[in-house]
Amino acid sequence: MGVPAAIDLVDLALKATTAYQRPDLGGRLQQTRKRLADPNVRVLVVGEFKQGKSQLVNALVNAPICPVDDDISTAVPTIVRHAETTTVTLVRDRGEGSPPERMTVAANQLAQYVSEAGNPGNRSLLTYAEVGLPRKLLAGGLVLVDTPGVGGLGSAHGAATMSALPSADAVLLVSDAAQEYTGPELEFLGAALKLCPNVACVLTKTDLYPHWRRIMELDRGHLGDAGVRSEIFPVSSMLRLHAAQTQDEKLMDESGFRELVNFLLNRVVARADDLDRRSTSQDVLAVCEQLAAGMRAELTAQENPERIEALVSELTRAKSRADDLKQRSSRWQITLNDGVGDLQSDIDYDLRDRLRNIGREAEQLLDDGDPAVIWDQFAEWFHQQVSSAASANFVWAAERARYLAGQVAEHFAEGADVALPQLRFDQSDSMAGKVNALEQPESEAEGIGGRLLTGMRGGYGGMLMIGMASTLAGLALLNPFSIGAGVLFGAKTVRDERKRELARRRSEAKVAVRKHVDEVTFQVGKDSRDMLRRTQRDLRDHFSGLAEEVSTSLAGSVAAAQSAVKATTSERQTRIRDLKAELARIDGVAQRARALLGDAPSQLSAVPAGADPIASRKGL
Amino acid sequence: MTAPRPQLGSVVRVLLRRTIETYRDSPQAVGWLQHNLDRFDEPLRVAIAGKVKAGKSTLLNALVGEEIAPTDAGECTRIVTWYQDAQVPKVTMFPRGAAPRQLTIHREQGALSFDLQGMPVEQVDKLEVDWPSQSLRTQTLIDTPGIASLSKDTSARAGAFLAPDDSPSQADAVIYLMRHLHATDVHFLESFYDQGVARATPINTIAVLSRADEIGVGRLDALSSARRIARRYRADDKIRGLCQTVVAVAGLLAETGRTMRQHEFTALSALAGLPRADLDSMLLSVDRFSRTELERPTTPGLDSETRARLMERFGLFGVRLSTTLIRQGMTDPTTIATELVRRSGLDELRGVLSTQFSERRDLLKARSALLAVDLVLSREPRPSAAPLTQEVERILAGAHEFAELRLLSTIRSGVVKLAPETLEEAERLLGGDGGSAAARLSLEPGVGPDQLRAAALEAVTRWQRRAESPMSSRAVSDVARLVVRSCEGVLADLS
Repeated sequence: MGVPAAIDLVDLALKATTAYQRPDLGGRLQQTRKRLADPNVRVLVVGEFKQGKSQLVNALVNAPICPVDDDISTAVPTIVRHAETTTVTLVRDRGEGSPPERMTVAANQLAQYVSEAGNPGNRSLLTYAEVGLPRKLLAGGLVLVDTPGVGGLGSAHGAATMSALPSADAVLLVSDAAQEYTGPELEFLGAALKLCPNVACVLTKTDLYPHWRRIMELDRGHLGDAGVRSEIFPVSSMLRLHAAQTQDEKLMDESGFRELVNFLLNRVVARADDLDRRSTSQDVLAVCEQLAAGMRAELTAQENPERIEALVSELTRAKSRADDLKQRSSRWQITLNDGVGDLQSDIDYDLRDRLRNIGREAEQLLDDGDPAVIWDQFAEWFHQQVSSAASANFVWAAERARYLAGQVAEHFAEGADVALPQLRFDQSDSMAGKVNALEQPESEAEGIGGRLLTGMRGGYGGMLMIGMASTLAGLALLNPFSIGAGVLFGAKTVRDERKRELARRRSEAKVAVRKHVDEVTFQVGKDSRDMLRRTQRDLRDHFSGLAEEVSTSLAGSVAAAQSAVKATTSERQTRIRDLKAELARIDGVAQRARALLGDAPSQLSAVPAGADPIASRKGL
Repeated sequence: MTAPRPQLGSVVRVLLRRTIETYRDSPQAVGWLQHNLDRFDEPLRVAIAGKVKAGKSTLLNALVGEEIAPTDAGECTRIVTWYQDAQVPKVTMFPRGAAPRQLTIHREQGALSFDLQGMPVEQVDKLEVDWPSQSLRTQTLIDTPGIASLSKDTSARAGAFLAPDDSPSQADAVIYLMRHLHATDVHFLESFYDQGVARATPINTIAVLSRADEIGVGRLDALSSARRIARRYRADDKIRGLCQTVVAVAGLLAETGRTMRQHEFTALSALAGLPRADLDSMLLSVDRFSRTELERPTTPGLDSETRARLMERFGLFGVRLSTTLIRQGMTDPTTIATELVRRSGLDELRGVLSTQFSERRDLLKARSALLAVDLVLSREPRPSAAPLTQEVERILAGAHEFAELRLLSTIRSGVVKLAPETLEEAERLLGGDGGSAAARLSLEPGVGPDQLRAAALEAVTRWQRRAESPMSSRAVSDVARLVVRSCEGVLADLS
């Protein structure tokens, strides 16, 4: 969410850092500004095949953008975002290092590229398609991502979708009213909730099924049994499109879309908006504190000249403790380094263990049957197993990495608390608050998932998607047998010859299986290691920077306190006045930062339904 | 091949009796074999299998032409239920490890419901419904609980599916229902459908794309759209390897068409009489249809309760279709009902069932019986049974019918390299589209014997040439030789 007030505030704080000669503090604000400039709130539309995902997206934006058909289905993720005019861009990633290739095509040609019919199995290797639409709904930064159908967790598409979840702001799980949730759907929902807590369920095609209320009740029951507290929105895309065409308000009510749109605006966009305010406010407050610290120290020294020495020694001690935070031996550093090391080996072990078990089972199956006969079914089974192992491994890794980030933040906060005994920020809980707020961008930074999918910054997630989808699909291409007609004819070949042939086929099949397991272990393992290394680097840079800032501020405070000694009484009075004025100015900025936080609705559910968040934001 | 071939059925029957003789001292084996011998004379057992909510019970009702299997919006069938023809209606429950018990029959608005007398579902082995019905005379239908979850113990089922070869099952043939699935998933998901009672093989399985009206989200052209998808599945090599064919059926439409009542027709006619715009707006959604307040009190028999019931029975698609048909001038309930059934694809399914199952009844029965004998022979081997083992093998290898079936599945698995139209002809001659001479030779059903003979002779010559050509690979020669034998069989039957 681009919150204009937040951007103004950051700009103001940036000016202050220049004026007080603290360019080191400017870096963080620049980051904040960059984050604010990206207003996107990504909503992933996921679900099984033929549940009406594309039609739901079309109905939401009231435009026939995503191809809908009784048979063919979406093969390439389609991203729908706001734009001044309708544009369609196809994006093909060309691997690390080179920028993705972008092609603009006419809107009516999109179907040729993203549908299963025009581009079977994504033969043209598109990474995603991007559609810009001039729609009010999207103007607030809402970005809808139509994904290929998930054939349960165990499909390559499912694994790829899973990897895109951590970077999503919300997920809509789409299921039609023909039947209650199936096992794979619930399983997918459970895993998705671990990666993206904001999941809503959408029950589509309510115009077609007389029993949709029953189905919704049954679904509620399933969700309750699984301990999931997501809302269910029954909708009819057909009715909404029809209502938009005929401008029929009553029909629009019946379509059930009002509730869904409200949810998207008030719960998803507003929540992202709220997070933005909160983190911006915390960032600016922190900068204000740092700026004020030196002046406050000098002020204390000027007001109580007899305590200067005590103050200086206390400040010096504090500085040395802050410097300790920069050391590799500080607790958070150790937590981080050890944690990443442990995590790396745990996740690697987990992946190997899962794959090894699958490999064993696969060999058992091959021993029990004739590979020539069972190969097709076997390959499918094997894929499913491998994909779901990779998914599960990924979910677990993401969860653990997030937990580790929390731990590091906590340990850093403890260290910082010790280092800054006198210079506590005015709100006693603000340090913890700040760290909590920092966690969000951090978990965003390790939001490993589909950066590439959403086309935002590139990186690990997208790589995983492509890498995973193609790696996981590899085995089908390997058909190790040339099937002798004799075998299938059931003709009586010499028994020994047959046995020998069978043994040969089995060993060839096993070699193929082992090779594939190796390949997957290598590729997925490398992806996990990259993700962890990135997490480690991001966390280290972030907290080192923070420690550096605190240390610089304290050094400034010490210098300021020491300089206060030499001043005469009259000079001191002037200086005290000046300092108070400066502090008041900084406090003004801090007030605005606090006001930004205060403006944000503290209870999200308290947002009145139907309120337009765009309008309320302008009031800031 | 001028000598008359002994009928496969009688050969297998003799074998069964001989095996019973040999195993006279083993009551278990005798019981099993006797059961299979009796089964030989029973109607063909066709199991209806598929995932949860695929529409199995609805299709069963459509095939029977009565609402005898209970249906519901939630998961409904939880016990394997057999529907067989009998003089007197009767429902028998078979609890696990207890004596069968007769249940009272409840019937509500035509539909049956079963009261298990407090017996937990898990402890009931099966239900048997005896029902006087013309449609059940030639086949016993078995309704099965849906394959609940695909994700659970997939590996276990994978193991079961991949387990070597057939074992005898209780059903002779399987209709497998699937709702729309993505092509890449179909062959995997659908192939793991081992259900115990309905173990499937390509030989005795027909796949049905069920709830066909919903695939096209209830549009009037929904069914042609569904047929197009079924055609695509049929052409998919992997699916061809799993079943004989794929048919699209709108189960609800078929069921309702076969059981339509006069008052429903009256209500539909009244609906069709409403102004076009009013009706169209009512038919936008099921809620609108059931709840719209009709302004004119002059339309009797159209209160919202009636409409809700109509929706239950016809579905949005069914109401749209029937009112359109009435508007187009069909004013006779029978014509409408027939038209609904015709459009639902049920006729096509029945045609396929008749060519694939009924005509092959003896073959499928013989296959089941041979598997049963084989099981006894391998479980309780004894020296005196050695000749029987040879006999089983001789029948399996020697009976041309089995050779035809095997070759059909081989051709469908796509390993024989021939031009597509040649393969198509081979399939047809082998009886892939039906076992009658006319079907094999792709002639109209009513043609005279002379024409048939001429066509068969011509086919023999053509395939003989292919079999003997030095250019043909061994695989092709083998195919051609079997095809020639099938044609000779046709000729022999003609003379």
